[in-house]
Amino acid sequence: MIIKTILLPTVICLLLLTIIGMNTVFSEKALPTKEEVIWTKPENKISIAHTEIFGILERPQVIFDHNKHTEAFKQEGCKTCHPVDEWGDFRFDFPKKVEKKDKTSVMNAYHDECMGCHKKSVKVKEKSGPVICADCHKEELLFVHIKYPVFEFDFAYHDNHVKKLREKLGKDDCSLCHHIYDPEEEDETLRLVYEKGTEESCYYCHDLDKKRGPELTVITRAAAKKGLTIQKASHLQCLNCHFKYTKELEILKKKKDEKAGPLECTKCHTGKYKTIAELAKVPRPDRNQPEKPFIGIENARMKGVPLNHSSHEKYNRTCRGCHHETLNACKKCHSVTGIPEGRQVNTANAYHNVFSEHSCAGCHNMKKKEKDCAGCHSNIPQMGIETMGPGKKVCSLCHTGRKEPPTPTPLNVAQLDPEKVKKEVTVKILENEYEPSKFPHLKIIQKLVKISNESKLATYFHANMQTICDGCHHQSRAEAEAKKDTPPYCENCHSVTNDFRKTGRTRLLSAYHRQCLGCHEMMDLEKGRKCSECHKEKKEVPKSITSVKNFELPVRFLEKLGW
Amino acid sequence: MEKHDAVEIVKEKIEGPQIKNFGDFWRFFRSELKPRGPIFTPFNIISAPVILIGLVLIVYRFAVGLGATTNLSQEFPWGMWIGFDVIVGVAFAGGGYALAFIVYILGVEKWRPILRATVLNAFLAYVFYAGAIILDIGRWWNAPNPFLGRGFGVSSVMFIVAWHFLLYMLTLGIEFSPAVPEWLGMKKLRKILGSLTLGAVVFGVMLSIHHQSGLGALFAMAKGKIHPLWYSEFIPVIFFISSIYSGLSLVIFEGTISHKVFESQIDEEHHHAYPDILVGLAKTCAGVMFAVFFLDLFMVHHDGELRLLSTPMGYWYLTEVLGLLLLPCFLYVHGAQTRNLAFIRVAAVLALIGIVLNRLNTVFIAYNWYVPLEQRYYPYWMEIWVTLTIIFIEIWVFRWIINRMPVMRKSPEWARALEKH
Amino acid sequence: MDRRTFFKTIGVGLAGAAGGALLTPSASEAQEVFEGEEFFGILVDTTRCIGCRRCERACAEVNNLPIPGISEKANETIYKKVRKTTDTAYTVTNLYETEKGKFFVPKRCMHCNLPGCRSACLVYAMKKRETGHVTWDLNCMGCRLCMISCPYDIPKFEYNQSIPKIQKCNLCYGRFQKGLVPGCVEVCPTEALMFGTRRGLLDEAKKRIAQNPNRYVNHVYGEYEVGGTSHLYLSAVPFEQLGFRTDLGIKPYPEYSLVYLYAIPFIATLTPLFMLGISYAVRSRKEKHEEKHEEKEKH
Repeated sequence: MIIKTILLPTVICLLLLTIIGMNTVFSEKALPTKEEVIWTKPENKISIAHTEIFGILERPQVIFDHNKHTEAFKQEGCKTCHPVDEWGDFRFDFPKKVEKKDKTSVMNAYHDECMGCHKKSVKVKEKSGPVICADCHKEELLFVHIKYPVFEFDFAYHDNHVKKLREKLGKDDCSLCHHIYDPEEEDETLRLVYEKGTEESCYYCHDLDKKRGPELTVITRAAAKKGLTIQKASHLQCLNCHFKYTKELEILKKKKDEKAGPLECTKCHTGKYKTIAELAKVPRPDRNQPEKPFIGIENARMKGVPLNHSSHEKYNRTCRGCHHETLNACKKCHSVTGIPEGRQVNTANAYHNVFSEHSCAGCHNMKKKEKDCAGCHSNIPQMGIETMGPGKKVCSLCHTGRKEPPTPTPLNVAQLDPEKVKKEVTVKILENEYEPSKFPHLKIIQKLVKISNESKLATYFHANMQTICDGCHHQSRAEAEAKKDTPPYCENCHSVTNDFRKTGRTRLLSAYHRQCLGCHEMMDLEKGRKCSECHKEKKEVPKSITSVKNFELPVRFLEKLGW
Repeated sequence: MEKHDAVEIVKEKIEGPQIKNFGDFWRFFRSELKPRGPIFTPFNIISAPVILIGLVLIVYRFAVGLGATTNLSQEFPWGMWIGFDVIVGVAFAGGGYALAFIVYILGVEKWRPILRATVLNAFLAYVFYAGAIILDIGRWWNAPNPFLGRGFGVSSVMFIVAWHFLLYMLTLGIEFSPAVPEWLGMKKLRKILGSLTLGAVVFGVMLSIHHQSGLGALFAMAKGKIHPLWYSEFIPVIFFISSIYSGLSLVIFEGTISHKVFESQIDEEHHHAYPDILVGLAKTCAGVMFAVFFLDLFMVHHDGELRLLSTPMGYWYLTEVLGLLLLPCFLYVHGAQTRNLAFIRVAAVLALIGIVLNRLNTVFIAYNWYVPLEQRYYPYWMEIWVTLTIIFIEIWVFRWIINRMPVMRKSPEWARALEKH
Repeated sequence: MDRRTFFKTIGVGLAGAAGGALLTPSASEAQEVFEGEEFFGILVDTTRCIGCRRCERACAEVNNLPIPGISEKANETIYKKVRKTTDTAYTVTNLYETEKGKFFVPKRCMHCNLPGCRSACLVYAMKKRETGHVTWDLNCMGCRLCMISCPYDIPKFEYNQSIPKIQKCNLCYGRFQKGLVPGCVEVCPTEALMFGTRRGLLDEAKKRIAQNPNRYVNHVYGEYEVGGTSHLYLSAVPFEQLGFRTDLGIKPYPEYSLVYLYAIPFIATLTPLFMLGISYAVRSRKEKHEEKHEEKEKH
């Protein structure tokens, strides 16, 4: 009886609970939650993980000590591990041979080559590497992440290389590094050619992450087929050359301080980058670029734009900031009507797209976001929207129609009429709660003028003092103001109260606070962030801050009951 | 003179008190007010001072408001008075409709002996516990508003519940009412009231379905605030079905006590039939409890909350469902199969505790469970005292009625004769 | 069962069903759609709020509540804790530190389009006005179901009064009827609070997001949450970081109790018939059984 009535239901319940329990347990995610450890000083060690092939690793990654192996194989050289291609250059691939790119083949290739070599050394009783799984796949290195900073081959390095090679060879030979790929050529081995005047950045063809136009995509596909990512291509090109000259130096037993280019990872991947100011001193490579091209379009409505190309060169780290696809003029791909080569972006948009990193307007807009500029410019709508308005004054700053770009003149505060432009302004709108706020009007103008004059871009576009005034007095018209006796007060347009059925213009109190506080915030100023810095609190707390005093009558007792 | 009186007395014994006018009624009522049985029983000694102080506390609560007399807070607006008195009390009173349905609609005559006591208990439960709502609402003088039309909040679940409480109180009153003319010996009245019983039962079951599930639906809009293990869209269904077994379990529990206390009123036949009744109740409860368990399980799995079972609140939930729902279910089954009344009684107590826990969880334990411990609600001593007061008052009234009206003992002959037709 | 009893019981049952049907909400009531007037609301731009707490002070002045001290010194200590609204403070401002900096968030009643509190109120003391204001009225019973039904935990009960009220922001309904903006909006120095029609405010909010994509997260809190609210919020960081609940869904809260409410007429009409049917079936079986028994006994 007891067995039937108690035991059986209990067993069923236990079964149910087991199912539920297993469900709970197995629905937990399998990945552990320890944190990554990033090695900032990798010491030429390399992480072998290949997560793109293996997915989530069964065993920890292998941290490979390259230095140990180069020391050990000094005599034999790189060819011990690395294959040599048809031109006698080392391809710094490892393993030497992998037939298929699947998990088993790759794993076997690594094991065969690494452990095979280690086992050989063990047989000859020499010091050798590990042959047991856990000695390479170390558990404690599970969360280590090795990051080599990207190496930037900036203009300083380029200049250095050009000069040194000129010294060595007696002439300029750009073909040592530069080549282009001719996909039309039938003979595959002859597709890489050098043509003078076509030298460009390696990134154009070898940066396989970026989406390119139709012409370049053919080339990038070919590079991808050979596995020539920017990393592989750079290592192939740079390291082989350095290797060659190192060997040369050793053979010729030249003076120790003559260097031949680094071969160790950390010597190039330093993580140190030069600033734009430092690079500005370095001459740019000569590619017959025009100094001051005139950008004009036949029969266009707008006048042409003279571009100071040589000074713009100095404002960027690489040419790719503007020449994002090839080292050509924009119009070549971005025609007036838009063609596939330019991804249908036409000339007007190519130059004026305010959200792009490569267009003129886009780059200028990004500069306006900087701390020194953002105080005024965060409130001013971007150029794209402004040009839709009737006043096209801002366009004529660039579209001058003359061949020679204008030289901008810095602003001068001394021109200002001290009668009109007050030294100090007092704001009394919150009089019943705070002491009047006095703010240093002239000082602010002087500071803004100073900032503007320090920047070439700002000086160019802030053609006259009115632009500085427009930063705060944004809708007042200078011509109209000049005729009036009263200054351009904010309250001329921003009323004290507002109509809540129209959500357009803010009221005076918020106009002041959003303008002033907004500027201080965007410019990340130290001063002027706390309320009392601008207006001190009054000693007596005001009785009421709302405009209409409490008008509701006290609720009578019976009303409170609600009966 | 004496012979005349003797005849009168005999007549009264057979046919009940002869009340022909108000004077007769008043004399009879006053005689009924005299206590039957010893005054200084342990129960009386404990409950009387509790009731007296409790009445003072109730007046105090109405004078100063809820803040001084309860531990309610902005995070926990409902506490012991609504959670225990009203919601648990109404769940306990589920025996009224369940038993009435089984006896009147399904015609299971063998349970008729306990029916009247159950209906009386349910009626008093609604009057006192649902009536305890007046204690808990802040603006109690506006309590008639939903009935008088000063705002028919027809989209509110509480509106349905309030109306149903009132209607159901009246319905239970009608169901129980035949006992009053039997007590007073008024035949015609007994006949009229008896004819209303079936309609009242049907109406009452329908009302009960509404308001038992309505108590659950009150929390439908507390979706983010009640722990997911206790909240689902099916709270109303679970509350309704669990009220069935909760009411029947209370019948078992309260019947055990009443049968001991009012032993003198129970006749031989009933005494012999009682174990059968208990077994039958146990089987019904077990079936319903298994249905509730299955519903709970289904809800937890359906809403993807299995992983919550391994949290502390999950363990609390498992305690409630396994220890106080599944375990008494098995105890009921075992007790029914072996006719072991002790098992059944223990099971009833466990089931009742389970119901208390389930309802209180929904009201203030699993409600806003993420609030820090210092801000959590626990009942103030005044709340507990007043609750006890109400329970004791209800028991006193219950006792008064049972000692005078034919509830535990059989109805007089003439009433039984009416029933046959 | 004889005919008379049968009709009596049917009569009682039908009366109950009819009464129940009358008392259940009609479809339009349950969905609470207002036509005609537009909803008004407040747009709260948390990137503009400087945490001065003048809104709290103005609210207290307008509503006869204790006036908080809002000097800079007082604010420094106040912002150390995250506060909730209370029965004497309809709106509170809290400070949140995020990776994008400090933000101040004024918290008050959201004035939902389909408020849970209003549906929960059994005497309609909580009213959703045609202009969007959710206000409390004096015919309240003090049952506090509105507090349970509010997803934002806004209504606060005056536990300390013997004549208690439910206190919450009412969007200054009284001032609105006199043509004024709410007190908090009037005194806000940076126009972090903007009053207007809900439609106009949504347009303004979307405009701000479109013109300043780097300044705002592309979401207006309150546009769809719990069926839409009249208090709309803009933020520079994901809303969870500013203490908003983002797990509330877009279903208006009253719809959660609709399942139960719609079931009422079904149960009211079907169960009495069902039970009468069973009762009749059981009785006729019994009578047949008794007849058979009597027949047997005769022979």
